[in-house]
Amino acid sequence: MLKRLMKSALAACVVLPTAAIAADLDSMTPEQLLPLAQKEGSVTVFSLSSRIAKIEKAFEEAYPGVDLIGLDMSSTKQIARLEAEQQAGVHAVDVLYIADTPVVFSKLLEAKRIVNYVPPRVATQIEDRYKGPLLTQRLSTKVLMYNEKVFPGGSPVTNLWQLTQPEWQGKVLMVDPSQRGELLDLLTEIALHPDEMAAAYKTQFGKDITIDADLQGAGEQFIKDLFANDLILVPNSDVLNKSVGDANAKNPPVGFGTYSDRRDNEKEGWALQVANNVEPANGILFPAVLTIADKAPHPAAARLLIDFMFGDDTPTGGAGFEPFNVPGDYATRTTIAHHPDSVRLDELKAWTIDPAKTAAARGRISDLIITLQ
Amino acid sequence: MTSTSTFAPSGGSRLLRSGFIMPAILVAIVAVLVVAPLVRILLSTLTPSGVEAWQAVLVSPLSFNLWWRPLFNTMVLGFGVASGCLILGGFLAWLVVLTDVPGRRLLGLMATLPYMIPSFAAALAWGTLFRNSRLGGSAGFFETNGLIIPDWLAWGLAPTAVVLIAHYYSLAYTIIAAALSSVGADLVEAGQMAGARRPRIFFGIILPVVTPALIAAASLTFAGAVANFAAPALLGLPVRMQTLSTRLFGMIETGQNERGFVLALLLIAVSALFLWMSDRIVSGRKAFITVTGKGGRTKRFPLGVWRWPLFAIAVAIGLLTTVTPVLVLAASSLAPQSGALFSNWTLHFWIGEGGGEIAQGQAGIFRNPVLLDAIWNTIRLGLVVALTTMLLGLALAYTIVQRRGSLVATILSQLAFIPLLVPSIAFAAAYIALFGAPIGPLPSLYGTFALLVIAASAHNLPFAVQSGRSVLGQISADIEESARLTGAGLLRRLFAIIFPLAIRGLFAGAILVFVKMVRDLSLIVLLFTATSPVLSMVAYRYAAEGFMQFANAITLVILTVCLAASFLAHGLQNRVQKWKES
Repeated sequence: MLKRLMKSALAACVVLPTAAIAADLDSMTPEQLLPLAQKEGSVTVFSLSSRIAKIEKAFEEAYPGVDLIGLDMSSTKQIARLEAEQQAGVHAVDVLYIADTPVVFSKLLEAKRIVNYVPPRVATQIEDRYKGPLLTQRLSTKVLMYNEKVFPGGSPVTNLWQLTQPEWQGKVLMVDPSQRGELLDLLTEIALHPDEMAAAYKTQFGKDITIDADLQGAGEQFIKDLFANDLILVPNSDVLNKSVGDANAKNPPVGFGTYSDRRDNEKEGWALQVANNVEPANGILFPAVLTIADKAPHPAAARLLIDFMFGDDTPTGGAGFEPFNVPGDYATRTTIAHHPDSVRLDELKAWTIDPAKTAAARGRISDLIITLQ
Repeated sequence: MTSTSTFAPSGGSRLLRSGFIMPAILVAIVAVLVVAPLVRILLSTLTPSGVEAWQAVLVSPLSFNLWWRPLFNTMVLGFGVASGCLILGGFLAWLVVLTDVPGRRLLGLMATLPYMIPSFAAALAWGTLFRNSRLGGSAGFFETNGLIIPDWLAWGLAPTAVVLIAHYYSLAYTIIAAALSSVGADLVEAGQMAGARRPRIFFGIILPVVTPALIAAASLTFAGAVANFAAPALLGLPVRMQTLSTRLFGMIETGQNERGFVLALLLIAVSALFLWMSDRIVSGRKAFITVTGKGGRTKRFPLGVWRWPLFAIAVAIGLLTTVTPVLVLAASSLAPQSGALFSNWTLHFWIGEGGGEIAQGQAGIFRNPVLLDAIWNTIRLGLVVALTTMLLGLALAYTIVQRRGSLVATILSQLAFIPLLVPSIAFAAAYIALFGAPIGPLPSLYGTFALLVIAASAHNLPFAVQSGRSVLGQISADIEESARLTGAGLLRRLFAIIFPLAIRGLFAGAILVFVKMVRDLSLIVLLFTATSPVLSMVAYRYAAEGFMQFANAITLVILTVCLAASFLAHGLQNRVQKWKES
């Protein structure tokens, strides 16, 4: 026994200082990472959410001696900054907490500017599709929202194709998909499901769809018809929520928005509700991922932080996840319970985007949208 | 200015006096600060995917919607806003500086405010009044009261232009007022003695003298209008109006950087063409020298019966463009519901203790521990950048004016203008890539305050150069020549003569830089590495969480900081130019 300990200690002395460290770090438990992280002293994270400030407090309490430096900036800026820094040979950031995964996939992952890491502690509690090519921490939404005060009987829309009809002319809102990646991803996802869109067309109109010669599939035809039906573009989700959700409205439009914005209904005087019963889907679920920058200066602390941000074993996820646990967003870690007030993830009729597939298709859809304006 | 004598080291000044070193140094500095990032952006559009982007923008089925239509909208906006700003800003500057209108201080203050208020506030104010039923939700003030607002008045080019004029005219005012204040009383009195009527004096003396300032103001407001994103996005997108700035932003935001950069480069080219033409107009005519070192008093015209009517017009402009947006901001920092601005007001978002029902238990901004830190950081950054920009701008403007018409002057003035039109995200990325790595013996500047200052100075250069030019152009060469004959070196001349005489224009530029620095987020956020943030980052943080009330409260704090800075500058310039007070 003693001999074996001695052996492994000796082996550790030889192995630890070498390049094998990074590979080893991937399989370490938080307890093993902690002393290494404390030696590194700090960890820098770019975060899409300013709630990183709450994580900073909790993390530094849980792991004294590791200083968390959190900088909140949008996904686009994170990408621009990481690219520029690495081109200059600067390796200053450790962890990226980022959405806009199709762009992350093509600009960062394929260029090997980031590496994927799955904390072993939670690896068995996350579905495989959320573990690669990038580790998803939670899913957010862009789905059809309506005004539940004006339509108390449920969603006025039950099939996406209804939105292309005169009834909804000039009454469908969307943040301009040529301005915001998530909405472009939504339309791309619709285009990536031509068969389901064609089937939904048949359900709605009782006949087969005819597709314009210059378009590919029923999804693209839907996008064209939606724009032709005076789809109204708005600059941000704030404007959209006010228009769709206004509790005093008489004849409100519907719009593609964020499910979790419903949590502000009371505060803002809104009546936002998700239209879930929609053929063939009501929108998309898209991931927020946690990833490690290439040649991160604090590799152990970076892994410790990602591990921490998947929460503890309680249903709320504890201090490491709670700031992100809002109704309408969904944790990928299965031990974290979904909010009782929101539709369960497996019952939400939204497509989950695949960053690689979306990245490949989104250029064509972006061009299509530009010609439709 | 007794300490200025220390600025004249005799050995160095001999070198500088040779007349070629200074322009050479400046060209080198501008090359590093402006040309290098620009070349980097240009190179990134010459890769295979970049060439595809050029094709997509210029010769493809997309180009009509991607380039030509946005270009048309942008140019209409640019020219419309520039002319509107000249008329409005020029009128107010004339009224405040050259007439005996009552309440001149108040009017002057009101005219400088709009630029300190973010343009989205004016756009929101417009929406509060004119919003129609196109978007659903609650209608604006006029529709609620039974007036039908047509789409063209609620959305699109017309309201965007009005909102941008309301925002940028104060920039024109600041520059024109600085130039008007150096129109000496002797000129005007000479005209009067020769029997010239008032219109004749105005068109024959005053207007020609301030033409450089008018051109400077027009160029800056033009650039501001074509680069503005918030107003066209808020008011234009609902009717699918795209400008180059919304297109550019969208392209970068959806990961199509090359296309965004191509649009930016084309925008720079088009604007540079217009700037070059306006430059030709200025340098093609004789320069009027008005600051001669004597008779620096300002002559005021009596307005007679027009005093009060004109005062009323000026106050109305001020109320509409200053008070309304500030009120909207203030109300939205007090109202718990962003949809109902004028009900249930609470001070919670300013001073409330955390933990309650409101705002998910967040405390008011004055209980936020980082706020004081952020205010201090912001002021420090604003001051340092304003100072460095002003110094560099003064040197550049001096060289451009001294060598008016020469190739060096033309190139420098063109280059110094470009940074306004480079999207800050591309600008900042270029700076990180350029200065992040050590260059020769110089260490890497990554993450340093210095890099932030350098990038910000370069980005804000146009303000300092344009406002410096318009004033320096009026200073007589006689004074400088007499100083030169008595053996004063360049630095000594700069600090003992040029600086005090041109201080109003320089401070006007410095204030514009300070304000822009304090309000601007996009450049800072990419270069900032410290955890203690600046005010605009704190505001962004709140806004990102959907707490517009906190964000708007911070915006008002920013406004206060800007106001304080402009008061300070005003006080300083009066101390330096004591002869103006009589």
